[in-house]
Amino acid sequence: MSVTYHRASWNNLFNSSFEVSNNECSCLSGRHLDGFTLPCHIVAFQHKSRHAVLPRVPRPSFMQRKFLPSSLFIRAHPRVISPNSRYPVKGLRFVSSSTSSNSKSSFSARTTTFFALGSALIGGLLGFSFAYGPQSSVSAPPTSLSTKTVTKPRYGSAEDFQKAIEELKRTFPDEDTVSTNPEDVYNHGFSVNDYHPGISHSVVVYPSSTEDVVKIVKIATKYRMPITAYAGATSLEGQFRGYSTGGICIDMSQMNRILEINEADSDLVCQPGVGWVEINDTLREKGIPLFFPIDPAPSATLGGMISNGCSGTNAVRYGTSKGEWFLNVTVVLPSGEVIKTRRRSRKSSAGFDTTKLFIGAEGTLGIITEVTIRLTPVLPTTVAVVHFPDVRKATEAVRDVMNTGVGIQCVELLDDVFMHAINNFGQSGRTWPIKDTLFFKLQGHNHASLLESAKVVKEVVKKHGGFDFQLARNEKEADDLWHDRKNAHYSGLALVPGSRPIATDVCVPVSRLPDLVYETKQDLSTLGLVAPIVGHVGDGNFHAQIMFTNEAELATAKVVVERMVHRAIAMDGTCTGEHGVGLGKKQYLVEELGAGTVELMKTVKRALDPLGLFNPGKVMCSPGR
Amino acid sequence: MSSLTPRALGRWFTARPWHIRKMATKGPVNSRPASKYSGSSGTPPNSRILALARYSPWSSSFPGTWRTRALIQSAFYAVGIVLATNYVDSVWFPPETGYASPREIKVAIEKLKQAFPEEDRVSTDPSVLTEHGSSDNSYHPASPHAVVVRALSTEDVVQIVKIASECRMPMVVYSGATSLEGHYSGVSPGSICIDMSGMDKILEIHEADSDLICQAGAQWEDINQALKDKGIPLFFPLDPGPGATIGGMVGTGCSGTNAVRYGTAKAEWFLNLTVVLPNGEVIKTRRRARKSSAGFDTTKLFIGAEGTLGIVTEATLRLAPRLPTKVAMAQFKNVEQAVDAVQDILNSPYGPHIQCVELLDDNMMDAINIAGVTTKPLPVRDTLFFKIQGDDPAIKLAAKTVQVIVKKHGSDRFEFASTDQEAEDLWQNRKYALTSTMGAHPGTRCWTTDVCVPVSKLSELVYETKKDLSAAGLRSTIVGHVGDGNFHALILFENDDELPKVNDAVHRLVHRALDLDGTCTGEHGVGIGKKQYLSEELGEGTVELMRSIKKAVDPMNLLNPGKLYPDNNQSRTH
Repeated sequence: MSVTYHRASWNNLFNSSFEVSNNECSCLSGRHLDGFTLPCHIVAFQHKSRHAVLPRVPRPSFMQRKFLPSSLFIRAHPRVISPNSRYPVKGLRFVSSSTSSNSKSSFSARTTTFFALGSALIGGLLGFSFAYGPQSSVSAPPTSLSTKTVTKPRYGSAEDFQKAIEELKRTFPDEDTVSTNPEDVYNHGFSVNDYHPGISHSVVVYPSSTEDVVKIVKIATKYRMPITAYAGATSLEGQFRGYSTGGICIDMSQMNRILEINEADSDLVCQPGVGWVEINDTLREKGIPLFFPIDPAPSATLGGMISNGCSGTNAVRYGTSKGEWFLNVTVVLPSGEVIKTRRRSRKSSAGFDTTKLFIGAEGTLGIITEVTIRLTPVLPTTVAVVHFPDVRKATEAVRDVMNTGVGIQCVELLDDVFMHAINNFGQSGRTWPIKDTLFFKLQGHNHASLLESAKVVKEVVKKHGGFDFQLARNEKEADDLWHDRKNAHYSGLALVPGSRPIATDVCVPVSRLPDLVYETKQDLSTLGLVAPIVGHVGDGNFHAQIMFTNEAELATAKVVVERMVHRAIAMDGTCTGEHGVGLGKKQYLVEELGAGTVELMKTVKRALDPLGLFNPGKVMCSPGR
Repeated sequence: MSSLTPRALGRWFTARPWHIRKMATKGPVNSRPASKYSGSSGTPPNSRILALARYSPWSSSFPGTWRTRALIQSAFYAVGIVLATNYVDSVWFPPETGYASPREIKVAIEKLKQAFPEEDRVSTDPSVLTEHGSSDNSYHPASPHAVVVRALSTEDVVQIVKIASECRMPMVVYSGATSLEGHYSGVSPGSICIDMSGMDKILEIHEADSDLICQAGAQWEDINQALKDKGIPLFFPLDPGPGATIGGMVGTGCSGTNAVRYGTAKAEWFLNLTVVLPNGEVIKTRRRARKSSAGFDTTKLFIGAEGTLGIVTEATLRLAPRLPTKVAMAQFKNVEQAVDAVQDILNSPYGPHIQCVELLDDNMMDAINIAGVTTKPLPVRDTLFFKIQGDDPAIKLAAKTVQVIVKKHGSDRFEFASTDQEAEDLWQNRKYALTSTMGAHPGTRCWTTDVCVPVSKLSELVYETKKDLSAAGLRSTIVGHVGDGNFHALILFENDDELPKVNDAVHRLVHRALDLDGTCTGEHGVGIGKKQYLSEELGEGTVELMRSIKKAVDPMNLLNPGKLYPDNNQSRTH
């Protein structure tokens, strides 16, 4: 017997010179077509020896007889009659009578039949899965958020990126709008203020309107290119670092206009490249007695402030950006669609607030192109400074002061190291005692009420061992005192020449702050690291600025930060109070929030940005997992 | 049905052209049809069709190779199979009524009864079902629930959610039942109502951190009372309708009279929520720190979501120091004057001492005189009520400033509540505005609605609305949180015949607010009543964003379906 079951191909189906292996059957199990296995066997026979027994073709099964209409069996065209047809194959009895009589075509007819049915089945299954897949809405079994299988986002190749850059240049013919200058693309992916290694972007684009941003997003989507927004570049956790494959950096610095000031409604509409300092200066120049109270680093811009979920020294009195200071944002979504999240009224309960979705998302969900902010009346303030024997006493004093309800706009703690740094920096007009110190900014409706508040504060701090309480005698003195606090970052940097800082922050419930600061300071001093500490203690938030000059110190510093974050989380706190997650804190997110909450964030990310193009690698570890 | 089609078609195509011709002409069978017809001139009238029939892949005279033939056939079968499966799919799982069938509802109720065998946990008493599914204070179409389950812990809620998703039963959460836009009405054909009123405990109070952890069914008034009783000088400043619970306040995105000073539920008063997601997972959105910039704030996803994204079972609330307050009032000739005065006051250095500013129009004052709790009759004029906070000297100075400003805006009368009791009474009247309004007009019913606009537009809005309502012949009272640009109209009517008129007036009011860059609801939420306006207010893109988040979090659409998100066909129509 020399029957071969052959692995069929389009060619050898027609080729009568099959390979034959005597007394051996190579049985084919299926044919691979684009990764699918045909469930049918395509069988070719060849009769080699004259006295071979004809292969027995099985009778059609019951199913075949019952359910396959005779009309489905194909009679071959005379041209494709197989050379084997002179050996009539029995068993095609199920072919309709007119066909069976034409035994010449029977062999091809059978293969054809199987083939046709097979492909039909495949086609049907494919069609079914296509039709069934996306609209699984109601009939699908309850899907767990975490079991959804989503493939990791895939980005374009280097060639695609090159094409994208060319298209960007065609779209924005102005010379300055699209830049691939190596220095430029590196500077947009690097910061001297943090310790993360710089990663260049492929190209930097400077849009000047929402429409420009839409165009960029569309081009990026076409070529699967990551997009990172860049504005004030004051963030500290690597939020504007490039992505390893390269990508587009959208520099918002050209979108820096204030569009409307509605004094009567206490609100203002502006573009995202405007800095908060600029807004407050403009309002003061125009004689409008209002200001925007969120005060992160001096050159921060509104787009970055929203994305970072920032706050600042005023948070004690006015809350953070996650409060109600951003009334409405215009956002370009990853789909290229432009939405406004709200209208201009101060409050609204029309559904959950999509504005809040973009606050703290670090540009992973959309790119902000316009902002409506709420303003608040400017009030008289003054500054008071008081020293303490240790941080624990100082933080405990703050807790008590806050619960008296007096008008406190800011409470800042600077530790002894920092006071030394300020003296060392030399910009201050005075020499401070090297002690842990609290700076209060008091607020009230007039001078009398400020004095009243100062009296209350003085009493409370005295109870906690505060000494040398001094209240600014006039506005000039208050400004000078506060200036020392504002310069903290730079005076810290000057403390160790040639050093770079790890500026990190955590936040805990205020009653836990004394323990946290105390333990962290001990940890730092045992390891011999220079690390000034400054804290927005009214909120339970504090920053450590750990200085390092070499790799070894960096490694030690990282360990300290890790311990500090774990300590904060164990105290029911957060890994970051106002610096954001970026690259530096994303490893702590699951520990802090729980896997379920992080998965929820990823679900939202996937729903908005299925291609994963917006600031990939920040906030969450790969949303596709 | 569609599976039969290919067979019939196949038969027709298999009939070779000469067969067809035989049928048509009763002529003799020709053995070589194709060549014959192509050349001959005496072709029968339908010969052209017959000639085309040979291109059928089932025809024996098909001109192409067998490969072409096979390809065309398989394509045909593939289409057939897809159509068939789609048809079967749509018959077995119709998308519109994908929820449990009446039989499955019975199964679900059985399962719930097994899971909660205690008496009074699972109720199918018709009166209970109706009471949990409709409100006396709103007039939106409502259907009763299929079953009401009382949850006592987060684990209970998880169990209910699991049973509900097994049986594809919609879930609606119910607690204080003070919402006004049909948030907790039942879903046909049958929904599980999760009654949270049993989860009303305060779990932890952290005085030193000024925060508190409680269950979702706790009422804000009870929380403040408990703090007062324990002598803790803190309070929770969000004050919506009396009887409202924390869970409902989160769901609605509420606010109240204190919003002028303390902001709304969308600010930072909810530090952390424990939420049961539609897949049964329990998450905590944050920890207890006052601020955090660890990613976007998932807490905010559930505030104002009206129970469509998750079920809130516990909340960590931030508290504020309780300060001494005094109540004052000023009368004005008309509403516009009053509204204009408010902004000047709030932007003065004494602005932060104003805890509340409430506007009550002349009709409302009249209603209070008739039905409220007052020791002496109040003047029936448009009135502003102020709650001023601070220590004594600050209150005195603030009051002086307020007096000067209101005088500038045409007020001729300003007075303090002489005693604390009087202040309390005045404030009670304001809080119970709805009850007073209905008490003053016995036998009437009341449709309550609210809108919010930028504060400078409020006087225009109030003026136009009062004019419109009186032109429509409707009696109404107006109360407003004027400091925020938010106001409520309580429109009175006697019977169902008047209902369409009221509905139209509300419709006009909302459109007026939207034209002024405002919102269709300042604090009542969307529910059923306002969802038709959402697309107009926010834009189709923003609504689509909300929908896509809903779809991602709750793919089976089991949580409070039919609320908040506009139906696809009704967006744009208004």
